[in-house]
Amino acid sequence: MERPLSPFMFPTWYRFQITSALSILHRLTGIGLAVGSILLAWWLISVAVGGELFETTHRFLVSPIGIVLLFLWSVAFFYHLCNGIRHLAWDAGYGFEIRTAARSGYAVIVMTALLTLLAWLYVFFA
Amino acid sequence: MAKSAVPSDMTALRDETMLRHVRQLGSARDGLSEWRLQRLTAIALIPLSLYFVASVLWLATSDRITAAAWLASPVTALLVMLFVLAGLAHALVGLRSVFLDYVHTRARLVAAGLFVRAAAVLLAGASVLAILKLFLGH
Repeated sequence: MERPLSPFMFPTWYRFQITSALSILHRLTGIGLAVGSILLAWWLISVAVGGELFETTHRFLVSPIGIVLLFLWSVAFFYHLCNGIRHLAWDAGYGFEIRTAARSGYAVIVMTALLTLLAWLYVFFA
Repeated sequence: MAKSAVPSDMTALRDETMLRHVRQLGSARDGLSEWRLQRLTAIALIPLSLYFVASVLWLATSDRITAAAWLASPVTALLVMLFVLAGLAHALVGLRSVFLDYVHTRARLVAAGLFVRAAAVLLAGASVLAILKLFLGH
């Protein structure tokens, strides 16, 4: 039998658990946000340069692909923010009970959905 | 009669050579300062990122003048600069911990570390330059 290495034990060797799933998601969204920082730097440069460059960048951002990217970025951002606060609470020594950890996990999902929804409602209807 | 050895005298960590080997590996060398940097930037990023996102939502329907004018104000310039720098520092520590888990060759680990550090320095420099340009009004 191939001995599994720890990062790849999910989902074959571990049953689904909200805590481990959210843990992996924290990393994935973190990587996504790190990649997104390229877009952030690009946007700042385009604002500074202005003119043609800003127009092109703006057109890309409001195109379907741009909106999808921004939507994914916003989900990743709100998730990483909420779950990061959950992590900071753990660092301070709170919420380690299994039931508490599961509940705070569901709370993170609800807050992420709510904040993302509010942000996009604001963009389209404000 | 030979002097009886205490068990702890025989453990590897009592050996200075072994300690040196341990220290050469990533987490054992500067794990604590990275851990602290990750938490400190995380705490700083809560208000900074919320400020940035709220501002971008407000700017969402604006043209260039508004975004440029927004970035030209001193408070905005400072906060966005801190947001970018704290974010990139936070991302560097996070990406490094991912590499430590998934990259198992020393050479590849060093290469990946160099690559993300170079990318972070470039992005930080470019962002700061862009903000400074708008702030100084050139």
